[in-house]
Order: sequence, then C-alpha cells, then structure tokens
Amino acid sequence: MVNNGTRRRWTLFDFALTLILGLLSMVLIYPVFYVFIVSFSDTASVARNSVFLWPKGFNFEAYRQIFETARIPRAYLNTVIYTGVGTGINLLMTAVAAYPLSRPGLFGRKFFVLAIVLTMFINGGIIPTYLVVQKLHLIDTIWAIVLPNAIWTFELLIIKSFYEAMSDAIRESAVVEGASEYRILFSLIMPLSKPALASIGLFYFMGHWNSYFLPMIYLNDANLYPLQVALREMLFFDVARQTGLTERASLAPEIIKNATIVISMIPVLVIYPFAQKYFAKGVMLGSEKG
Amino acid sequence: MHTTIWRHIRRDRQLLILLIPCIVFYALFRYGPIYGLVIAFKDYDLYTGILKSDWVGLAHFRRFFDGPDFWLLFKNTFLLGFFTLIFSFPFPIVFAVLLNEVRHTRFKKIVQTASYLPAFLSVVIVSSMVIDFLSPTHGLVNLALKSMGFERIYFLAAPEWFRTIYIASDIWQFMGYEAIIYLAAIAGIDPTLYEAARVDGAKRYHMMRYITVPSIMSTIFIMFILKSGNVFRIGFEKVLLLYNPTTYEVADVFSTFVYRKGLLEANYSYAAAVGLFEAIIALVMLLTANFLTKRAGGKGLW
Repeated sequence: MVNNGTRRRWTLFDFALTLILGLLSMVLIYPVFYVFIVSFSDTASVARNSVFLWPKGFNFEAYRQIFETARIPRAYLNTVIYTGVGTGINLLMTAVAAYPLSRPGLFGRKFFVLAIVLTMFINGGIIPTYLVVQKLHLIDTIWAIVLPNAIWTFELLIIKSFYEAMSDAIRESAVVEGASEYRILFSLIMPLSKPALASIGLFYFMGHWNSYFLPMIYLNDANLYPLQVALREMLFFDVARQTGLTERASLAPEIIKNATIVISMIPVLVIYPFAQKYFAKGVMLGSEKG
Repeated sequence: MHTTIWRHIRRDRQLLILLIPCIVFYALFRYGPIYGLVIAFKDYDLYTGILKSDWVGLAHFRRFFDGPDFWLLFKNTFLLGFFTLIFSFPFPIVFAVLLNEVRHTRFKKIVQTASYLPAFLSVVIVSSMVIDFLSPTHGLVNLALKSMGFERIYFLAAPEWFRTIYIASDIWQFMGYEAIIYLAAIAGIDPTLYEAARVDGAKRYHMMRYITVPSIMSTIFIMFILKSGNVFRIGFEKVLLLYNPTTYEVADVFSTFVYRKGLLEANYSYAAAVGLFEAIIALVMLLTANFLTKRAGGKGLW
C-alpha cells in the first residue's frame, strides 16, 4: 500500500506473494473450518477418516443431541450470563474509576495511581487470590467469576488517558452550569467515550467468553459450569483416550465436541469481522500508552 | 495541616466517592492476596486462618529448593518461555512485511482478517484442535504420516514433541494478531523513501530489505526486549490442557505445579511459596528487560 504510487505490472514477485499469503490464510483458517465440517458429518464417515474438505453424510444429529441434553444448553446460558454481567460490571467499574483518576488535582491522585500501577507487577498469585475468594464466600457463585477481575488495570489506564486527552472546555461549561461530578461523568464524559469503551469492552467480552481457568477453580458445582469448562471436560476424555489411559469409545463424542465448539464460537465469529477494527485500535491504544 | 487535608477531601468528595468501588476492588482482590502471601512463611490451614497459623520462616522454600522439583520446574519454565520467544518472534514480523507488499487492497484485507481469527478462539478450543489434529487414530497429521509410509506418533504422550506442539500452536494463534503492531510501524514509514528508491531502480525485495525492515528495527527491538521480560510468564492455561503425566518431565512449569500442589492437593502454604518464588524471578526479568529497553533509548514500560 505504501509504495503504490503508480500502476505497475503484475510481476513474479506479486504472484509468489499472493500464493504464499493465500496458502498461509488457508492454513490459519483450516482448523476452524475442519471443526465445522466434522460437526456436520455422520459418525461412519468420521470413523473412516474421510472428512477433509466437506461434511460427509451431512446432518444436524450432533446439534440435536446437544440440545436434548441439559448440560450444554445450561453451560451456554451460564456463559451468556457470566459474560453479560461480567462485561457490564467491568465497563461500569472501569469507566467510573478512570474519571477521578484522570482529574489532575484529585486529592491523593499520585498515591492512587501508583498503587494501581504497582499491581501490574506485583500480585499475590493463584493461591492467595483463591483464599481471598474463599474467605469472602464467593466460591460456587457468579461473583467468584465476575468480581476478582472486575477491573483490568491496563484497560483502566487506557480509559484514564482517554479522559485526560479530552478537551477541558467540554467539562468547564458543565461546571459553570453547576453540574455535579456525577452528572458530568455519566451524561457527558461517558457518552463521549463510547468508542474507547467499546474497544476495551471487546477485550472484556472476549476475556469472559473464553475464560476457563478461573471458572474451573472457583466453581465446583457442575450446574454452574460455563461452556469452556464443559468443553474442557470433553477434551480430557479425548486425551485420556489418546494416551491409552482409557479404551477408545465410539466416535460420537468427538462430533459432539466439535458441534459444541461451533456453537461456542458463533458469537465470536459473528462479532469479530466487525470488531477487529476496535480490536486493532485497542492494541494500538495499549501500545501508545506504553 | 489536618485542616488542609480535610479541606481537600471535602473539595474532592464527589470524585472520591466515585473512586470508592475502585479502592475497594484493589484493596480486596489485589492487595488482599499480596498480604495473603505471608502464608508462604507459615503453616496455613483453612481452619486456623492466616493470623493464627504458625510461622515457619523459610521452611517451605528450603523444602522446595532441596527437593527434586525445583530444577525441573525452573528448566521447564525457562526453556518453554525461551523457545517460544525465539521461535515465534520472527513470524509476525515477516508476515507484516510481506502483507505490506500486497498491492491488491481487497486481498490484503481478507488475508489480514483471516490472520486475526485464531486469536479470538479460547485456549480450550485451540487445545481441542491440537488434540484432534494430532490424534494417533483419526488426526490429520497422523493420517498424512501414514499415507507417506511413516509410523504413527503419539504426539501428546511424547515428551520430545511437547514444546514443538506448544510453540507451533502459539505461532498459529497469535501471528496475525501480533503483526498489528508491526503493520502500524510500517504504516508510519515515510513514503518518499520508497519513491526515491524506485527512482534509483530498486527492486521490491530490495525495498523490503533496505527500507521496510530497517525502518521498523526499533519497534522490533523493543518488542523483543519486552517479550524477553515475560519469558517466565508462561501461558500455563494451555500447558494445563495439553500436558499429562507422561509429559510432565518437560511440560510441568511453576504455575501448573502451583495449581496441582495448592488447589488439587490443598498444600496452600507450599504452593504459595513456589508461586512467590516464580513471581520474584518473573519480576526481576521484567525489570531487567525494562532497564535494557531504556538503556537502548526506548520508552520502557514506564
């Protein structure tokens, strides 16, 4: 793009470049595609290892089975709830906390910012954090998933510098009219920050939707499992089978597993072509923050 | 003195009220666990609590350093992080430089969009794909090996394959995503440099070699140092999904050990001590890396 000043001939270089990048894209996409086609194939074809490029014996059997059992739909619902509530809390906490921290004259500002930034480098680690969550009786509740990471420090700093970069003139006129800080934040600053909030919201959303480790350690009740934890259980079944720890069972579980992966990817696949712009912006915002 | 402080607090009271949830969050969930690290020097159990547990000094650390686990974990964590850094680092750079040469805007956009996709997938899904593709019975990799007349390989049960699998799947997942930063750096290159080179009759690969790459060298350098600061911060969630007792000898890292000892065996104090030790090494690495970045004229992390 940088160097296309004039229209030039299609050279061997262009041909090789197109070929390499085209193949590369296919390599990057194929595993996702493969999950799709296996999930729509029938057991016999998958067992014969004949599924490569297109579903064989096209059917929705796996999806029907998934929705007949209670486990996966419940896990799906749990994921939706955790992601919705979690992202909502994340955004609210971050957008609100960033505001006072962005005000230059705030009492104790230096202290607060330093204390917050320090936690990026020093933290208690898995075990002490687990004990805090346990002490607060959050184990086996949605709050164990949502509260311990209610604010991501990096995203907080991004929003803080976004607020700081806003023109003071916007705020001044509201101050002159006697608006409270609450009003200024909620009806002036936050609406104006929608693009930045959307960008970090995407990171929060992805974080919740894809998380498995924290739900795995904080939830013991299988009824509370989100999709990723349910998927992990299927995976372990696979590994056990392949390392010879258990006998090879019928192939149906594999098709069901891939169908579960497909339904778990749907929101991500729907969002990502639109969201990648924000995603890229988020990465850049983060790097400029430095 | 006191009156000025109170005056300031009164002046800022609305802002401070807005800050309360944030203060509570950091106090409870960030500084709480830091305080909780004292259990690494105590014999903590659930019923006596942190305060009443007996002090044992460095006993847990001594046990760890004297035991057989320490060197194995240290070696595994370092090597996995180090090899991941060395092998995966060039991919996003090469990808960004090549992508920049594409003149067909639509094609360029499609390739870039495709390259982001894996970064959006969860570590469970990626691990599932890895397991399926490498399966000795129905995995495509083993089917390909078989059709070429090779023996099948039990990849996930083979310690010698573990790091390769971990690193290759990392490259696959994050190459496109990490290229973003290099593409941005490339976009910032002065176009007149290319114009001048073209007038002088430079070929496209000459421009890549002598303009594009040197122009983003400082970005490459800083990224490398920042990443080397994170060598000890392994993506242990994927290790946890891909390892099993047959591969522990290469796959077990500090965090997975902490998880097993602490959460599965309820050895809280011992696990906290190991976790603290790991965090200290990781912090030292990060500080060193940051120091080097600054010495090299970069901005550093702070």
